[in-house]
Amino acid sequence: MIKNIGYIVFILLGAACSSEKDEYVPIDKNPKLEFSIPSNFPEPSYNVSLNPPTEKGFELGKKLFYDGRLSSDGVISCGFCHIQDFAFTHHTHIVSHGVNGALGTRNAQPLHNLAFMKEFTWDGAAIHLDLQPIIPITAEVEMNESFSSILQKLEEQPEYVTLFGEAFEDQKINSENLLKALSQFMIMMISSNSKYDRIERNEGSVFTSDEAVGFELFTSKCASCHAGTLFTDQSYRNNGLPVDPQYNDIGRNRVTGLVSDLYKFKVPTLRNIELTFPYMHDGRLKTLKDVLDHYSDGMIDSETLDPVFKKTDGTVAGIPMTEEEKQQIISFLKTLTDDNFVNDNRFSEF
Amino acid sequence: MNKFTLIILAIITIISCKDDDPNIVEIDNTPKFGTLNINFNNKVVGDLVTLNTGSYTNLSNETYTISELKYIISNIVLVKENGDEFTYPVANSYFLINEEVPSSKQVTLSNIDASIYTKIKFGVGVDQSNYPLNGVANFIPTAEESGMLWSWSAGYKFLKFEGSFTPQGGTTGDFLLHIGSHGEVLDNYKEVTLDLSSTLIIGDQTTSELSINADVSKIFDSTNTYSLEQKSDVQVDPVNAPILAENISTMFTTINEIPN
Repeated sequence: MIKNIGYIVFILLGAACSSEKDEYVPIDKNPKLEFSIPSNFPEPSYNVSLNPPTEKGFELGKKLFYDGRLSSDGVISCGFCHIQDFAFTHHTHIVSHGVNGALGTRNAQPLHNLAFMKEFTWDGAAIHLDLQPIIPITAEVEMNESFSSILQKLEEQPEYVTLFGEAFEDQKINSENLLKALSQFMIMMISSNSKYDRIERNEGSVFTSDEAVGFELFTSKCASCHAGTLFTDQSYRNNGLPVDPQYNDIGRNRVTGLVSDLYKFKVPTLRNIELTFPYMHDGRLKTLKDVLDHYSDGMIDSETLDPVFKKTDGTVAGIPMTEEEKQQIISFLKTLTDDNFVNDNRFSEF
Repeated sequence: MNKFTLIILAIITIISCKDDDPNIVEIDNTPKFGTLNINFNNKVVGDLVTLNTGSYTNLSNETYTISELKYIISNIVLVKENGDEFTYPVANSYFLINEEVPSSKQVTLSNIDASIYTKIKFGVGVDQSNYPLNGVANFIPTAEESGMLWSWSAGYKFLKFEGSFTPQGGTTGDFLLHIGSHGEVLDNYKEVTLDLSSTLIIGDQTTSELSINADVSKIFDSTNTYSLEQKSDVQVDPVNAPILAENISTMFTTINEIPN
């Protein structure tokens, strides 16, 4: 009898409350994804608890990332300029390409370990990962699209209606959920399985002699800015590139308006640097050798040139390196390549 | 099934559907909520702004006309007589006031605690300090349609004030003042607290009205004196943007509320 009452109560409850708002999505339909911090990494800057990645949120974010509907011509997706094989950069393209063949002014940055970064883009114009996509989406020379138009296009796609409904409690297709889904996809993109990582975590790998010497040289000559296991101190610095009159890119000054920020750019992470050529904010340098040649011999002085590159008398010192040392540093830099990451199917379009 | 069982079933059924069942008589301690319309009147001193044709003079003897006037209001809080605060849901609290669009100048807040209020607090711009808890993402479409996003940055323009001006004895030129925060380096978001000139009563299921005057002449002449001749194009300007932001925060006053 007691058992039967249990069933009846259950049925009555169900029948009595079967109003429209009670379409519960069972929890196991959208399980949380594990966001695990590699043991050699710092704490993330992104507050994962406020937007915990879920299976459906990640799937939605990935679909959006590879969807040309986020651009005005229906072709340029995020993944158009951020190609996984090259650590999500635009292989061989000096500056970003946008709708209708438009050219940007800066080189597409790699996408990995974004949960650990405090600010985004070359000049820090986005102070939160959730905000970053606003820039490429709305920039005329990139995706040239408006959020209202994107949301309207997504509403018309049954798959998106379903996915947004499964991914978010309020089930709404709106900008907040769109940006959160993109972030869920992006924060899962952790690159932490390079040879360097395996050495740092004592997992049995060892440097070759060239790599070992290169690492020593790197530590003494480069690591004051390319610091820590993320290989960036996330500061903005002028590294002595001559100003290209074609762009006259004022760098961080565009965000802060401070004269002291003229021609400063974010110190980029060096993870996967072997794959992310060409280099510098405007992609002007083709190879790692070119980059090191710039640091040893190519810098020009200016008001905001970083003091780290100056001698005590104020003249430009650069980073003195012999040709052999450069090759050794490059050998070390190649240990930062993470093949697992660039081949990880979770992040692939197909 | 015995009586006892039936009674239990009946009770459970009723309890489980309490919210939906009109037959349940509730004791009258239910929260009461009203609606508030806030009307923003953009003025130059005492006169309502007339875009393009109205000619005004600031204290630096510059005559000016206004072609565009927009600003973002956010984080609205009403303060009760006893000091308790009613915080309007932050995510629904972002409004773009655009002089050109009459409907944008009336902001409707619903489900406000029925009570007597003596102060109103709000933000000018977007508080980015607690992003993403500030729920601003869904304001993006409104902001972008009105050109209140910087195209190259992920921030908002808090105020856009454009027109043309003629300095005394000088030649006419355009002015363009776009004030917002500069990344995390400079926060130009301002909070404004206004005493209500008489108490504001929000009744149960009634609509109350409140008017707020925005005297844009204060953008030039208030805490700081700002002449356009000194700089007429202010966008990301770490010197002049804070000066103007401070002035902007002083341009609001409340006037007579009409009791419902």
